[in-house]
Amino acid sequence: MSQHVHDTGCEEYNTLTRRAFVGAAAGVAAAATLPAWLPKVVLAQSASSRDIIVSVFLRGGSDGLSMVYPFTDTNYYTGRPTIAIPRPDSNSATRGIALNGQFGISAAMSSLVPAYQAGNLLVVHGAGLVDNTRSHFDAQRFIEVGKARDPNLVSGWLGRHLATSTPMRSNAPLRALGLTQGMPRTLVGAPKSLPIPNPAGFGLGGSTTTRTERSAWLRGDYEAVDTSIGAPALDALNTVTLLNNINFNGYVPSGGAVYPNTGFGRGMRSAAALIKADIGIEALQLDIGGWDTHSGQAPAVVNGNMARTMTDLAQSLAAFHADALTGGVSYNVTVVVLSEFGRNVRENGSQGTDHGRGSCMFVMGPGIAGGRVMTNNWVPLARENLESGQDLRVTIDHRDILSEIVSRRLGNTNLGVIFPSYVPTVRGVTL
Amino acid sequence: MGVTLEHDEVHGAEQGLATAEVSGEAGVSSRRKFFVTAAAAAMVIGGAKEARAQAVGGRRARRKLPEPVRGVSLALASAAAPPDAQLAVWRDPVGRLLRRATLGITKEELTRAKALGFSKYLEEQLRPSTIDDREVAAFVATNYPTLKMTPEELYGADQGKVSTELQESTIYRAAFSKRQLYERMVEFWSDHFNIDREKVGYLKTTDDRDVIRKHALGKFPTLLKASAHSAAMMRYLDQTDSRRGNINENYAREIMELHSVGVDGGYTQQDVNELARVLTGWTVSGRGIFTYDAQIHDFGPKSVLGKTVPATAVGKGLAGKNEADAIIDALALHPKTAHYIAIKMTKFLLQYDPTDAMVAAVEAEFTKTKGDIPSMIRVILTEQNLMGAPVKYKRPFHWAVSSVRALGPSVTSVSVVRGLVDNMGQSLFAWDTPDGYPDKMEFWSGLVLARWNAANSIAGQTAATFNFNVTPFVGTTAETGADLIVERLFGGEVPESFRTRLADFLRPAPTNTARVREAVGLALSSSQFQWY
Repeated sequence: MSQHVHDTGCEEYNTLTRRAFVGAAAGVAAAATLPAWLPKVVLAQSASSRDIIVSVFLRGGSDGLSMVYPFTDTNYYTGRPTIAIPRPDSNSATRGIALNGQFGISAAMSSLVPAYQAGNLLVVHGAGLVDNTRSHFDAQRFIEVGKARDPNLVSGWLGRHLATSTPMRSNAPLRALGLTQGMPRTLVGAPKSLPIPNPAGFGLGGSTTTRTERSAWLRGDYEAVDTSIGAPALDALNTVTLLNNINFNGYVPSGGAVYPNTGFGRGMRSAAALIKADIGIEALQLDIGGWDTHSGQAPAVVNGNMARTMTDLAQSLAAFHADALTGGVSYNVTVVVLSEFGRNVRENGSQGTDHGRGSCMFVMGPGIAGGRVMTNNWVPLARENLESGQDLRVTIDHRDILSEIVSRRLGNTNLGVIFPSYVPTVRGVTL
Repeated sequence: MGVTLEHDEVHGAEQGLATAEVSGEAGVSSRRKFFVTAAAAAMVIGGAKEARAQAVGGRRARRKLPEPVRGVSLALASAAAPPDAQLAVWRDPVGRLLRRATLGITKEELTRAKALGFSKYLEEQLRPSTIDDREVAAFVATNYPTLKMTPEELYGADQGKVSTELQESTIYRAAFSKRQLYERMVEFWSDHFNIDREKVGYLKTTDDRDVIRKHALGKFPTLLKASAHSAAMMRYLDQTDSRRGNINENYAREIMELHSVGVDGGYTQQDVNELARVLTGWTVSGRGIFTYDAQIHDFGPKSVLGKTVPATAVGKGLAGKNEADAIIDALALHPKTAHYIAIKMTKFLLQYDPTDAMVAAVEAEFTKTKGDIPSMIRVILTEQNLMGAPVKYKRPFHWAVSSVRALGPSVTSVSVVRGLVDNMGQSLFAWDTPDGYPDKMEFWSGLVLARWNAANSIAGQTAATFNFNVTPFVGTTAETGADLIVERLFGGEVPESFRTRLADFLRPAPTNTARVREAVGLALSSSQFQWY
């Protein structure tokens, strides 16, 4: 997907679209106030009280104890002689930053401290799957479909949320997208949803003269076939027009936000642009990999293996916070970040950690009761307190957190459909 | 916080319909409406299935029908099922066999296979060494010299070239080798024993040669053992970091979960830890030679999957290494392995959701033949199975290779195809997790725009290194032009409406080559060309 140019090579198309825009809803006055990167998008229509959700999956089993760590617990330091994050009150150059009297955030993630202090970032620790699988693929599947060990459940929890709620915009061609190289299971089952790895390059290539004709031919072809491939094809055709209205490359973030030039950073930047473009997208799924740190984990080494991944994650989230949640206009967005499992409390023979159980989640947004590290009966990480003698126990089911977001921030009470056979405990995630 | 969540634990459609409408916040649809919609969708799907049963000669569909829809989850599950209308179009059993046993129909191969007949063609493909493939071998030897290098030589080679040659030779062989079923199995095992080149670098070249390609149509236990002795695999799954007293369990877990007995194979976390102990000492030395290092082996007593591994005297011999070999031998022929490999191969070669009976037959063959891969394929690719098998959706690599095969370009480099495969999301040997690229329609079907652009690009290639000669498609009338495309790309089997639409695009007459190229691009983009 490289041939199509939306901001330079397609004048005829742009002119037509602009005319359609001016004639349609908002009128010339509104058009004059639009930012330069967003020249043609209809901003009118009623605002919704529902949040847009940005869901982030840390693929590979992220070591929550390297992200947010219990610095007062000596068991943490004895279990991790080479990879522990130094205490915030130590002199180490790589020490973390205290979030409260018990937990610190690693230096690699320090860019998230402002969001935490602003009360917009909640850390949930000891969270995860109740099912004790240590298989990446089972654990990811169980979390994404919203239920463990149900082979008949193939759709994702977010997909079912969208399937059971009316669109925020009745005429939106696209309600959800994965900024991913394939459809993330979390979104499977969602109407009007697509994987779009790079929204800036989304268009039909080839001769501009025949583009409309070819597009129409393809529409006719896919309209006639089964929905399994017909629906995504038609969604793609409809979305081309939509995304071509947005100049992603010229997008200027607010609040002085700078997104890292990484796959995830660019993804969060696109997410912000899509949200601000106000085109009816209500759910975005992003993935960030690199968390399967069996060896050479180095979370507290500048440019260390996990330190780099954490920095990427934190800087991207922080930029999004500055850009979309506090930069001039605060958008109604909830961001939720989770992983399939955490890792062993004690490090292994290769200065890494093997598959464990509980990890930490992050929830961020103006409607989130943040500025806290939420735990449930947190105990010292002594061997006798650990699951199988080696792991942080899961004391908060991830579905508790997601259920509250779905019901309180996304305005969908169909929790029995979204998380089948589960009665969530209210943890107080939202304001 | 004083928040009260409205819990709704009703799962049954009946109960759901009986539930009063939820008057939630603005913008929330009622459960009633949703359930009704879901039930209607399920009925439509059921109807399509009936139609298919008729279409395949009135024979009852052997595919297991889903349980009566009881709730939303099941309804959504059914909605992802592939369509069956295509089965009425693909009537020729040899065409069906070619779609599954090769990486794409070509006119020449179809003619040859029809002349040989179903069974003879399949038997020929199951014995790749009997197929004369010298032309392709010579091209590969000349153009991709790094494939033959030792780890030492690879270490000293241009790493970009090593990577490119592995990817491009894979595409070239898949497109042009006459040993097509073998190439399909190379694709399958490359995912089954997935290794990310990003992590192991040039070692993947040796794994591809000495593990995957050496045993792709051999015996499963030999293949599993070869993979376990692969320096690339040792490195990829961190076995090289595991040592006595400080185990790394990554490879121990995945050889059970992904390579042999499967995640439901009945092992425990304890088994993973114990197998990791057994495997200590298995590592890599030099520039990438599998090595057993007794210095770091754990000679203590161990127990894996109920089998005791007694303590042995600390020694320099191979006694410590043999412990793991014995366990891997047992894993290779474990009943759970027979089941797991049978399911996976049947899904890959035949259909997304095989019946229990189909899997049982393949599993029995695995057991009977001690994991003989061709014997299992013989049970999977029967005429009866193929005539009832629902369509599968081509993954990007498969789609790209089938496009090349259909167009029959003159080629001295497939670098353009490599770029297109990357764009479509399936860069070869670049899937980072050990489960391999997904073979699921819903994962890929949304990436359709990249595929359309690749289609347009490939049909437009006129470079000397990759030249698609469009002249043979230029017909006297639009109808003739459409017929020529349909014959070449689809083995002649498409719905009449499709042929008409293609002809419509070529009107008034397919004399303008640019127009013909676009028509071919659209044909490759069409829903028809996505199935196999």
